[in-house]
Amino acid sequence: MTAPLIVEDRETESVDDLSRPWKVIVWDDPINLMSYVAFVFRKLFGFSEEKAHRLMMQVHTEGRAVVSSGPKEKAEMDVFRLHEHGLWATMEHDS
Amino acid sequence: MAGDGGVVVSLQEREQEVLADLIVDLRQLLMADSHDTLRRLNPPAHPGDEEAEAAYRAMVGDELLRGRLDLLDVVDEGIGGAVLDEAGVAAWLQGLNMIRLVLGERLELDGADLAAHELPDGPATVLYEWTGELLEFLVRAASSR
Repeated sequence: MTAPLIVEDRETESVDDLSRPWKVIVWDDPINLMSYVAFVFRKLFGFSEEKAHRLMMQVHTEGRAVVSSGPKEKAEMDVFRLHEHGLWATMEHDS
Repeated sequence: MAGDGGVVVSLQEREQEVLADLIVDLRQLLMADSHDTLRRLNPPAHPGDEEAEAAYRAMVGDELLRGRLDLLDVVDEGIGGAVLDEAGVAAWLQGLNMIRLVLGERLELDGADLAAHELPDGPATVLYEWTGELLEFLVRAASSR
C-alpha cells in the first residue's frame, strides 16, 4: 500500500465550492487489521455488521472507501474520530 | 468471556512485562512528539493542502495526544488482569491498535514490507504479531456482545 496521493486543483474557492459537501475517505494500509477496521466503522458510524464489512472490503480491495460525507465541520469531526482510532482517513471536497 | 458478560484480560507474566514496556515506550514517544515512528499515528487529514492541514493539526493535536495518553493509562491499569465492559474492550482495542501501529511503523522503517507480509525475524516481529492476535481476540469479544 502506498500513501494517498491527492492531486488538487488549486483554484480559489468560490461560494459554490463552500456549499459543496465534503467526503471522508479511509485508505488501505498494511498495518490495521481488517476486523479492527470493520469494528471501528460499526462503532463510530453505527453501521450494520454487513455494511461495515462491505466498506472495509472496499478499502482493502480498492484502496479506499468513502465512509461519510457532509459539511466541513462534520467531515472534520469524522476524520478526527477515525484518526483517534488509528485509521488512515482524509477528507476532500465532493466533486 | 466471563459469565457476567465482561471480557477477561489475563496475560502471562512475561506478556504483562512486555506490554508495560511498550506503554512506557509509547508514552515517551507521544510526549516527545514529531518522532518518525509516530508518522503512522498522524496521517494528514488534508493531503496536498498544507494550510488546511496546519489548521486541522492546530485544532485536534492536543486532544489527540490527551486521548492517546488516556488510552495508554486504561490499558496500563488492566495489564495485571481486568474484566472489561463494552467501553473497556473498545478502549483496549484502540490502545493496543495504537501500540501496534507504532510497532508496524518501526518494522517498515527497518525495511519490512508489511503489505507483502514480509516480516524479519526478531523481537519486533514477535511483538507485532502478538499484539495483532490480542486485537483479533478483542474484536471477536466486542462483536459477540
